[in-house]
Amino acid sequence: MNMHRRVPTLVALVLASVSAAPLLAQGTSVLPIADVKTRSAVQREIARAESKGLPTQPLVAKAMEGVTKQATGEQIRDAVSSLAKRLEQARALLAPSPSAAEVASGADALRAGVPAPMVKKIRAAWPADQSVVMPLDVMTELVARGIPASRALERLTSLMAKGATPSQIAALGSSVQSDVAAGLAPDAALEVRARGVMSLLNSPAAGASLAPTGQRPPR
Amino acid sequence: MIRHAALGLLLIGAATRSVAAQALPEVRLEAGAARLRQPGLGARGGEEASDAALFGIFWRLPTERWTLYTSGNLTYARDSLAAAQGVAALSLPWGRRSNFRTDLGVAGAVFSLSGAGDGGNTNGFARQHYVLENGGAWGGATAATTLRGTRWNAASAFDLGGWSRFGFLYGSLSLSRLYATDALLFETAGLLLENESGPFEFQDAQLVLQLRGGPHDITASLTRRQTIAGAEFSQNALYGSATLQLTDRVALIGGAGRQLADPVRGLPQADIITASLRVSLGPKPLPVMQRSTIADATVEPLAGGGGGELVVRVFSAEWLEVEVAGDFSEWRPVPMEREGSYWVARIRLRSGKYHIGVRTNQGPWRAPRNLARVRDDFGGESGLIVVP
Repeated sequence: MNMHRRVPTLVALVLASVSAAPLLAQGTSVLPIADVKTRSAVQREIARAESKGLPTQPLVAKAMEGVTKQATGEQIRDAVSSLAKRLEQARALLAPSPSAAEVASGADALRAGVPAPMVKKIRAAWPADQSVVMPLDVMTELVARGIPASRALERLTSLMAKGATPSQIAALGSSVQSDVAAGLAPDAALEVRARGVMSLLNSPAAGASLAPTGQRPPR
Repeated sequence: MIRHAALGLLLIGAATRSVAAQALPEVRLEAGAARLRQPGLGARGGEEASDAALFGIFWRLPTERWTLYTSGNLTYARDSLAAAQGVAALSLPWGRRSNFRTDLGVAGAVFSLSGAGDGGNTNGFARQHYVLENGGAWGGATAATTLRGTRWNAASAFDLGGWSRFGFLYGSLSLSRLYATDALLFETAGLLLENESGPFEFQDAQLVLQLRGGPHDITASLTRRQTIAGAEFSQNALYGSATLQLTDRVALIGGAGRQLADPVRGLPQADIITASLRVSLGPKPLPVMQRSTIADATVEPLAGGGGGELVVRVFSAEWLEVEVAGDFSEWRPVPMEREGSYWVARIRLRSGKYHIGVRTNQGPWRAPRNLARVRDDFGGESGLIVVP
């Protein structure tokens, strides 16, 4: 029995190390930045982030985005440095122990214009043992669509309080996107869709099926 | 003068894209033909026109801190005019996020003008810009000297202007005060002067309107000149031009109208009709026909839940190269496949948030039109999509 458990664990470890290898190599030595000064500055920034325990993959991705978009060396350095600062800020806002994905989502939310206190509120409104990535991502998308952050937060936290699941939160974002594509104003789309999810959450049948995953744990 | 006006518009154009995220070195060659008529010349007082050949080269070299613009032009008009002209201008932003920019430049020309003598011109200019996203203002000064035969003529100009953008329409309005001693230049325009030694003082008001659609543009320039001292006349001049980008590297440029005498650059008044071909060289050609590129991105949920298939569709010509990139590809460009009239990419993604960009022919990265847009830290934007 124990052997059976160890084999999948070993396989998972090997797979994890294989999939992580290109990323690590990219982050440390083979960033395709032609300018030596820029490459060194970005590598230093990544090393500094790593030493602080911050996720480095978003920094590598940001540098790659700059390279692909033919940004100047100065722009790439500034972008990576700003992102490192946002990651640090997001980690503090999502304390005590956010995952790398949560920190990255928090940093993106800040970049999109979600005010820092709201990032904190989203964390507080979501069960502490569940990843807050999806609520943060949907909040980011709604704000990027031009919906006032306070209204988006109000709708999201109402759904969270009623026990919405991550997939329901995500569906809210997709539905708003479809409505906007169909010509509805973003905030009107949010109102309509949030009410739709809310009505589902209020129904006894849905409540029963959603409760185990979505409700806040008892304090 | 046409070339200087073009350079001015180029500098304004560069200012509107001051972030320069997509700025690349560029070399353009231009060749064309023109028909010129100078009102004070010819057997019947300006009724005689002459044909001209035009050759030009333009080079832009952007760096992180400044952009160098240089251009050279050679004009030869049968029986009336031959000129070689060079311009070098340095555009210096005061900082990456500053709204201020200083342009400094020098220009020189040698010419042989029928009725206006052989000689040369040299001038230097400085212009201070204040640039916002959709508008700006500038003030500048130019000092020049022109040698015509054995006589040196001085000229200077001070100008103030502002420009604004309303969607596809760009407009600028400027006022210039000019001082000159070049009597011969005005006489070739058929103008009556109070004396032959000057000085002459003029005031020009110029309105420029430009319609831009992707790399194409139509420009109209209306100039009103009034004398202040040394002569008594007023003139109006209208000049129109259009640029049609035929391929990613080749553009057709045409123009017609009147150019007033320019004492600062030593160029005579002329009525001009011109057509030329411009070829862009360099590492990356201009993006072509952006307006014909319409991109959409949607997510089809995968059976069984968790993740989805991102489908990006770009309605664009078959002969264009179309790519998509984003976090999902670590921003490595992924070529799209042709399906009917569309370029399509289908990418399986896990649940999460993704930034996406689409580009055609190595042009700027754009967000698909139906997605939320976020600034990308490089002066551009990315589309944002959340996969349930």
